[in-house]
Amino acid sequence: MKGTYLGEFEELVLLSVGILFDDAYGFAIVDELEKQTGRNVMISAVHKALVRLEEKGYLKSRMGGSTETRGGRNKRLYQLTHAGRKVLAESRELRNDMWKQVPRIVWEGGK
Amino acid sequence: MKRTSTPPRWAQKIFKSFCNDHLCEAVLGDMLELYERRRKSMPQWKADALFISNVLQFIQPFAIRGKSSPSINTFGMYKNYFTIGWRTFLKSKVYSLINIAGLAVGLSACLLIGLYVKHELSYDRFHEKASRIYRVNTDIKFGDNHMDLALTNPLFGETAKNEIPAVEQTTRLHRYGSFLVKKGNENIREGDVAWADSTLFDVFTLPMIWGDPKTALTEPNTIVITESVARKYFDRTDVVGETLTVDNTQSRKITGVIKDLPSNMHFQFTSFVPLIETNDALEVTWTGNQNWNTYLLLKEGAKEDEVVPLLNSMLGRHLEPQLKSIIGKTLNEFHGDGNFFKASLIALSDIHLKSNRIGELYGSGNIQYVYTFFTIAVCILFIAMINFMNLATARSANRAREVGMRKVMGSRKSALIGQFITESILTCAAAMSFAVGITVIVFPFFNELTGKALDATMLLTPQIVSGLIILTLVVGILSGSYPAFYLSAFQPVSVLKGTHISGGKRSVFRNVLVVFQFSASVFLIAGTLIVFRQLQYIQQRDVGFNREQLLIISNIDKLGDRKEALKTSLLQLHGIEKATVTGFLPVNYYRNNNSFFTSPSLELKDAISMQKWVIDQDYLETMGMNLLEGRNFSEGIAADTASLIINETAAKFLGVRDILEKKLYVVEDEDTKALKEFRVIGIVKDFNFSSLRERVKPLAFTFGSDDALMTVRVEGSSIAQTVSTIEGTWQSMASDLPFEYSFMDDDFDQLYKGEMQSGKLMTYFASLSIFISSLGLFGLATFMAEKRTKEIGIRKVLGASVPGITALLSKDFVKLVLLAATITLPAAWCLMDKWLQDFAYHISLEWWIFAVAGVTGLIIALVTVGFQAIKAAVQNPVNSLRSE
Repeated sequence: MKGTYLGEFEELVLLSVGILFDDAYGFAIVDELEKQTGRNVMISAVHKALVRLEEKGYLKSRMGGSTETRGGRNKRLYQLTHAGRKVLAESRELRNDMWKQVPRIVWEGGK
Repeated sequence: MKRTSTPPRWAQKIFKSFCNDHLCEAVLGDMLELYERRRKSMPQWKADALFISNVLQFIQPFAIRGKSSPSINTFGMYKNYFTIGWRTFLKSKVYSLINIAGLAVGLSACLLIGLYVKHELSYDRFHEKASRIYRVNTDIKFGDNHMDLALTNPLFGETAKNEIPAVEQTTRLHRYGSFLVKKGNENIREGDVAWADSTLFDVFTLPMIWGDPKTALTEPNTIVITESVARKYFDRTDVVGETLTVDNTQSRKITGVIKDLPSNMHFQFTSFVPLIETNDALEVTWTGNQNWNTYLLLKEGAKEDEVVPLLNSMLGRHLEPQLKSIIGKTLNEFHGDGNFFKASLIALSDIHLKSNRIGELYGSGNIQYVYTFFTIAVCILFIAMINFMNLATARSANRAREVGMRKVMGSRKSALIGQFITESILTCAAAMSFAVGITVIVFPFFNELTGKALDATMLLTPQIVSGLIILTLVVGILSGSYPAFYLSAFQPVSVLKGTHISGGKRSVFRNVLVVFQFSASVFLIAGTLIVFRQLQYIQQRDVGFNREQLLIISNIDKLGDRKEALKTSLLQLHGIEKATVTGFLPVNYYRNNNSFFTSPSLELKDAISMQKWVIDQDYLETMGMNLLEGRNFSEGIAADTASLIINETAAKFLGVRDILEKKLYVVEDEDTKALKEFRVIGIVKDFNFSSLRERVKPLAFTFGSDDALMTVRVEGSSIAQTVSTIEGTWQSMASDLPFEYSFMDDDFDQLYKGEMQSGKLMTYFASLSIFISSLGLFGLATFMAEKRTKEIGIRKVLGASVPGITALLSKDFVKLVLLAATITLPAAWCLMDKWLQDFAYHISLEWWIFAVAGVTGLIIALVTVGFQAIKAAVQNPVNSLRSE
């Protein structure tokens, strides 16, 4: 179904939101992704993904937690929704399923 | 310690300008955080550059503010504005109605005056060649006589056309008077007939529906009539070739039917007959016979101030030989004696308003009145607008909380300004539609008052409609701007905490407006009083004859030899004492001026220009004029055909002690220089025979017969009955002619109709403006009393009396009105003095008039304010104090 498809980057962003738990906002997510993947992540890409995920209903957000370093500006704090958790679980299950179907021989070097 | 730097502000601004509200705050925060971190590891320029590139990266659909951003639902807000506006209206019905009614009445008055002024200014502008048409005026100073004529001699126009290249065409008009037209067995009077040159239709735009304008007035015994005249006699308009029977004897062939003349034309003739018929028009004279309204059509590009010298040198050339032969002087000698004889031009569109000379075809308007009414309209508009502003600002205190709440809820200042301006414009639009309604209803009365035939459809012209819309917007924005800007500047904190002081500085502005408003009202009261008294003075002044109960019977000249018989039989009727037959009555404007010389050598400096009236021996007695010296004409004295009775002014002018028996000479024939000698036999007390703006001019009666009208003095109280007996006698003697009559005092009033109408109009509009100002004051007073309910309650509890409180509440307004009167009355004095100077006979300005005006203003203010003050003062303090 359209709309339920989850891209790789999106999945990573969702997971980061989960990891950061109660301080998941744009900049922190960028940091987290860079730390976890070692890739250079663009801040605009992250926000774009966040907006889309919120539209799809996997995330919800609220404003809050301003700090001195942000010029006193509020953060948009993200949180996984039920649907978000479910889609992550489904994705993981799908992978597990497919893992299991790969013949053992593939993993053992295929002599 | 070095303060951490920030990224370039302009980049932040750019970001804010495009980013939507959902992300803006959070993303900017994120980017600032990122920037902070980068600053630790790289130089500022690099961090700046990266920041800018970050900003640019966000120029993507997901971050850009959409046009129909779902987060701002403006519709809901507008709905709210309407709801709140409507609730405010309902909550304070009295104020709202005062507001709207005041504005509506004011606007409708402005609208009426506006249409009136527009009509006055539109005279003769519709002619295709209007900008090139001029009328020739002649100014003559001859001895001590000075004449400003709207006329020329018969030759002027044609000569100008032949001798001056810049003159393209010319046409002459002369009032014919009236004639009777036969319809079946009936004779109907047509009163607006003119002699006109055949070139009439070349110069003026008078569209001809039937017939050929080139040839229409070239043959004698023809006639051009208007559509409505054609309909009256034939019930159709294609009547070219038909014949009209005029005055029972003449038959005139209709050669053209023109459209009815528009009401904004300076002459209103309904029939034109060819001018070539009159022998007078053929007379070769330059000095005399100044009887013709001459119009010149200048060529494209010709300038008025270049043509006038040419006209004057032409006039001089032709005048010289005739002047020499009559008074034996060259033109230079004539000028040397301080005399002059010169021509000037007046633009066609100026004739109606700016020209009031001897020989105007129709009574003209007066530019002064146009200015006066315009001023009044502006005053009324201002008063109504000030009401609106005052009430709105006064009520602002009530809405301060609303503004505070709206601001707390996040309303921008611009939105608040928009809200109040819109509300004001809508109220104004409502008032405007009421105003249009009122105008349409009042139109017939207004027409009756002004004698104009204005039409309510005039309101539908694009000019007026767009004017109305602009006026609505301007008035709406102006009267809404003060509350809008003032209210929206409130600090929400102070408003909601209740420290916002209602009244205070704001009332200074309001007081200024009230003073202004009352200045206008007091001014109008004073002006109206003076105008009214002056008009009354004119009407009641001793005009030198008794104009009551004089019946003027027309068509006498058509009677022929039955005239004497009619007079004899009328005199036998009960209730008729005196009758005189002559067309020279002191109610119509103009007759020929004649030069009377004191010696047969025709010395110019002793000449006197007088009107010459031909009367019979019963005239003086019928009119009730008094002889100061000498005797009346008598039929028994044969020498009386060469006798004169002159008026006091003429006697004073001649300045001789024994004026009786003095001889005066008149040139009878300019070619032969034949003189007629007159002997003065009496002096009559001055009586008015033209506008009371002017002094009485010299006048002479001669003895003879002129049979245009019969004037009958009716005695007793049953005038209606006497008139019907007269009619019976008329019918038995001249059943073929209509019995037409008028009363002298009606005709006399007609002479001053312009003044009377303007006086009445002024009175109405002044009362209206006073009404509107007191309406505003009433609203303000009500509001003030309401604001101070608690104060009044406490004062009463502490023992204040009802009169004390009433005085307390009225005091402020009374001060304002007194101030207004002090400012205004001197100005009114100056202006009205100037107005009165225009009249030869006028009242003197007295201080009490101004006192009355001031006191009237004060009383009106006291009554409106006092009513509210007393109402507030008699209230039981318990009611106002218990709820807190």
